[in-house]
Amino acid sequence: MSAVAVQKVFDEYRVLSDEVLKPGEPRVEKFLRAMRKSLQQKENWTFWLPYTLSLDTCMKCGTCAEVCPVYQATGRKEIYHPVYRTDMLRKIYKRYFTLPGKLFPWLVGAEDLTEEKLNALAENVYRCTICRRCSYVCPVAIDNGVIVREARKIFDAIGIAPDELKKKGTRLQLQAGNATGMPAVAFLDMVEFLEDEIEETRGYRIKIPVDKEGAEFLLMHNAGDYLAFAETVMGAAEVMHAAGVDWTLNSPNTGINDAVNYGVFYSDVEFSAVIKAHVETARKLGIKKLVVGECGHAFEALKYLILRLIPPEERPFEVISILELEDRWIREGRIKVDPQKNPEPVTFHDSCKLGRLGGMFEEPRRILKACCPDFREMTPNREMSLCCGGGSGFAIMEKGGFLKFRMETYGRLKAGQLKATGAKVVACACSNCKAQFREIINYHKLPMRYAGVSELLANALVR
Amino acid sequence: MDFGHYLIAGVMPYVAVAFFVFGLGYRIVYWSKAPMHLHWELFPYPHTMLEQLKEMITEVLTLHSLYRFNRKHWLPSLMMHWGFYLLVGWLVVLLLGFSFAAYVGTTGGVLVLAGSFSLFLLRLLDAEVRKISAPVEYINLIFVFTLASSGLFSGFLGDIQLVRSYFLSLLTFKPDASIAADYLIPLLLFELFLIYIPFTRMAHFAAKFFTYHKIKWGELH
Ligand code: SF4
Ligand code: SF4
Repeated sequence: MSAVAVQKVFDEYRVLSDEVLKPGEPRVEKFLRAMRKSLQQKENWTFWLPYTLSLDTCMKCGTCAEVCPVYQATGRKEIYHPVYRTDMLRKIYKRYFTLPGKLFPWLVGAEDLTEEKLNALAENVYRCTICRRCSYVCPVAIDNGVIVREARKIFDAIGIAPDELKKKGTRLQLQAGNATGMPAVAFLDMVEFLEDEIEETRGYRIKIPVDKEGAEFLLMHNAGDYLAFAETVMGAAEVMHAAGVDWTLNSPNTGINDAVNYGVFYSDVEFSAVIKAHVETARKLGIKKLVVGECGHAFEALKYLILRLIPPEERPFEVISILELEDRWIREGRIKVDPQKNPEPVTFHDSCKLGRLGGMFEEPRRILKACCPDFREMTPNREMSLCCGGGSGFAIMEKGGFLKFRMETYGRLKAGQLKATGAKVVACACSNCKAQFREIINYHKLPMRYAGVSELLANALVR
Repeated sequence: MDFGHYLIAGVMPYVAVAFFVFGLGYRIVYWSKAPMHLHWELFPYPHTMLEQLKEMITEVLTLHSLYRFNRKHWLPSLMMHWGFYLLVGWLVVLLLGFSFAAYVGTTGGVLVLAGSFSLFLLRLLDAEVRKISAPVEYINLIFVFTLASSGLFSGFLGDIQLVRSYFLSLLTFKPDASIAADYLIPLLLFELFLIYIPFTRMAHFAAKFFTYHKIKWGELH
């Protein structure tokens, strides 16, 4: 711990350390150069249209603020207004890249960029989870989320990105195969341990295949699950086994064995490096279907974001969520469940990335209704689901008092919703959400637990 | 007839329409030629053309996003938007020669007037919206307000016989500037408005097509 208190640059939190942010150094010029690039179609084709339309067309009606969890939970604090945040970038855009802003800055709200404003912006783009709830309700479909993400991209281009997402995130993943840094030997040990665990709790032993070439299904989890949410990993293995399909996990020996792609949160460069490594791994193993485990952003990346980035002929496999498989197998009668095995009241949290951004609303509900006799909806839900506060990397960010931010904003609203259901279990199908729920339940002292959908399903399996 | 008069009633109408059409056209072509971005849909979204049309028309006619999530902005915005729809309708029925055009035009003018005035007040008095507003936001509303009042109070919107023959003279490229002598101010304001729209956020009716159809509703189908 350093003895000197961290300098305040925006609010009482600091997700970017001084070593990363370098608040004393001149960065404005570099920022503007990177921003210029971000505004060019060729340089930034991946998001140019949503980005520039959102910069140009906000009507300043404030509808977004009415649904933003951060703004609402902080008692409508000005600095957390979605448009306050995006205007921080918009003012720079207008001042340096539009004619009216160059000629009449005061008229159109254009402002010079200073080092102080740069610091504040860098922090504020990490106060929004890019949950895109605001975008869903915006009358003009302006996307504050995409502006935040573009700003994060610009910062990354000038070397400013949280260590959790870059150094210990995408960089580590590309080098070690997973963002947890777990080597192959440890991974194989872990799998054996999980086989033992299953035997102990269920009384039968199953074989968990690893690195099997040419399998029908390659199941790739968020590697953090092996350490933090092993029940989900075991549950999925039991389901695969019960379905009697040809499946496998993979170890770092075969390339990337972690479904996460933190590039989704802050950088297209990192995003495409990771997703290419995913594709390469799947091709090398010659599998037919890549099954994404319970991880929201990984699903978004591999199911949707990949489509226009990597030509179909270069990815000769299908991408499917474990939820889709489980749902299908239950309906086909391929696996049998006895809901009485999960007697507790269960509610479900729609992860932004699976739901609003992934369209996966009904599958998890059908699974849960089949396996839990007392299923309760949380309100609001589906496309209006409130982000839990673990999104866009937040789940693994705690430094600089940030855990408190997560708990006092998104966490507070979510805790209220959870309480209102009276459920004893909150099910979800996303690692980041689980990490956030673990903290919410603890911090807000809720009399309940969280569980993966696969975990509840496995518990209800009839052999 | 002096030069200024001729300019406003005989020349500027063409210039303004050209600006509007080419300015807006340029932006639309520019947007539609944008490289195809990565998938960024929001679910659920309407899949068929019919469903999309239905949702778009509902949104345009009722502004239901505002109704559901930002009620205090809804009625003022609805008034202003319906005012504009009626003014476009006024132009059509006027040219077709229907005598009820005067009612359509006057109602449209009144709605735009009331809508822009209440939106202006709302923006000024509601601290939250005021904080995210730049001067240009107010100027736009004042502009719309001035345009509507001048159209109404000069009698322009109700004088259908004269306005019709004037518009027809423009359409046949034989501008009869002399008959528009009493309406130079509303004319000038309207021309400036047409020139101004494509370069501002007031082009959101066009931008919206892209944010909805290309982004929020995606292209999976
Ligand atoms: S982002 Fe959309 S909802 Fe928010 S102020 Fe702008 S136009 Fe209104
Ligand atoms: S994306 Fe979510 S957190 Fe960010 S401003 Fe919009 S509603 Fe708020």
